[in-house]
Amino acid sequence: MNQKDAGLDITIFFCQRFDKDQDTNRRALEKELGSKIKFFPLPCSGRIEPLHLMRALETGADKVYLLACQEGACRYLEGSIRARKRLAYTQGLIEEIGLEGERLELINVTPENHMTIDELARELLAREATVSLSPIKAVISNEY
Amino acid sequence: MPPKYNIHTTRMPGRFQPVTKSGVIAWEEGCLKCTRCVKKDCVYKVYEKRELDTRQMLDSLDSVCMDCFRCVQNCPNRLIQKGLNPAYKVLGDQYWTPEIISTLWLQAESGRIPVSGAGYGGPFSGPGFDAMWTDMSEIVRPTRDGIHGREYISTTVDLGRKLMALEFAPDGSLMTRTPPLVEIPLPVIFDLLPWSPPGEQITLALLEGAKSLGTFTIIRQSDLDSEIEQYLPNIIVFIDKKPESLGPGLLNRLRMVEIPDGKNTIAIKTMLKEINPELIVIIRLPLSPEVSERALTLTSEGAEVLHFYADEFGLEHADKPLFIKERIKEIHLCLVEKGLRDQVTFLAGGGIAMAEHMAKLIICGTDALTIDIPLLVAMECRVCRRCKEGIDCPVELDKVDPEWGSARIRNLMAGWHNQLLEILGAMGIREVRRLRGEMGRAMFFEDLEKEVFATMGKRG
Repeated sequence: MNQKDAGLDITIFFCQRFDKDQDTNRRALEKELGSKIKFFPLPCSGRIEPLHLMRALETGADKVYLLACQEGACRYLEGSIRARKRLAYTQGLIEEIGLEGERLELINVTPENHMTIDELARELLAREATVSLSPIKAVISNEY
Repeated sequence: MPPKYNIHTTRMPGRFQPVTKSGVIAWEEGCLKCTRCVKKDCVYKVYEKRELDTRQMLDSLDSVCMDCFRCVQNCPNRLIQKGLNPAYKVLGDQYWTPEIISTLWLQAESGRIPVSGAGYGGPFSGPGFDAMWTDMSEIVRPTRDGIHGREYISTTVDLGRKLMALEFAPDGSLMTRTPPLVEIPLPVIFDLLPWSPPGEQITLALLEGAKSLGTFTIIRQSDLDSEIEQYLPNIIVFIDKKPESLGPGLLNRLRMVEIPDGKNTIAIKTMLKEINPELIVIIRLPLSPEVSERALTLTSEGAEVLHFYADEFGLEHADKPLFIKERIKEIHLCLVEKGLRDQVTFLAGGGIAMAEHMAKLIICGTDALTIDIPLLVAMECRVCRRCKEGIDCPVELDKVDPEWGSARIRNLMAGWHNQLLEILGAMGIREVRRLRGEMGRAMFFEDLEKEVFATMGKRG
């Protein structure tokens, strides 16, 4: 079953360079899926910190994507490398508490793709769901 | 002398972190932990009080930063890099720019005039209101300091039909029947919103704001309900159903109503005034190339207040639309020429985004203004228009606390009021009524351009 049909809550952090009309392009998907999908544009994927990724999971995301430029193609030189390392570090942290590391995933996008953010997101939603609904959600719903 | 009009402000922080112009790109990797750490020098303690707003994934590292770039410049290892925030770039649109929106947020939070210490770095002229400059020749005259109060500058305007002459009987008694007038202490009325998320919270915030400022909010007849009836003294009902359906009970409690311009406008006005003679009937007209003629006719037929409205970008409804200031100038001068201007009150709205636009549009000939989008921006709206498309509001405007919203609106209006006082003081004008139509005290870029360059290229 694909991720959309599985009803997963998806959070996508992405480098603003992919799509200069990202705010307009993502609206159709936002309308279609409501709070099931969240987009957070970043000035550079290297801006991501473990805290962002952890908070996304903590607030109910089942799967978090980080869309970064190819290594070597980053406008700020090291952004994509930093993004990869931070994501790997966070994966280690969530595995320690019993969550699957694959809830966090880095996607390196090549500029030649010329895909808009909604096209990229639709492609991700169509992928096979490798994780189930997050157990954190049950904790959140019990707390509130 | 009446007591000085003063808007009380209270600092009212936003529910969401404001979207800031710049964002940190890198700040941590490669830090040598040297003794000369710029992060400790930050006067705003940006690096010490870290918080993350999970609803927007906005880091306090970005939202608390005041863009002084001290850390960027002084880090011995050049580690800290900043870039333009992508979320800031997409705020609003070409007219409602991110700069306008963030300035309105600041005013709504603090109630203060935004001050930039680094001078004006913008272009010399621009489209719309930016092609107009006011004459600040009295800026150095200290007696006309409206804010600090050595001399009282009035921002009060009167709405209604004005008499040109009074007639007295031989015994000295007044024969002329004086038409009703409504005085508002600020030349601003809250207009119908072009779009907003559903729900009554926003309306309640507007009404509470209008009440505390002593002004009015225009509300559709179809939106009237028992909860907002307590605000009737501050409501102008826009009649969007059959006028007869309003009922004498309600009409007698209202001070002003608004009707759309149509075939029987004057007849509807007469009918409404027969029920309540003290009622002021405002006629709402879309700005268009034909509007001057229509304004002339309506004024001759006894219209009291004409409300001209442009779209949200300040443009009239036409194939080649004129900007609001140009059309208002034309209507004003048309009525001046016919000797009718002083009999009628003008309201104008659409595209009013900043305090200076108030003064500029009044100079072009309106008596007072109507505003809409800035009221939403005061409540943290990002002018993304997602609500118009049926997408959830990113700042949950539908859930605003009316008290919080009205306090933010009051702060914004306090900032605008103070800026209006500054302009009036600098122009040496003691009341906003006298600013109306004072085109000789302003310069228009298009006119100057024609004046200076018209002869170029001509022989002889």
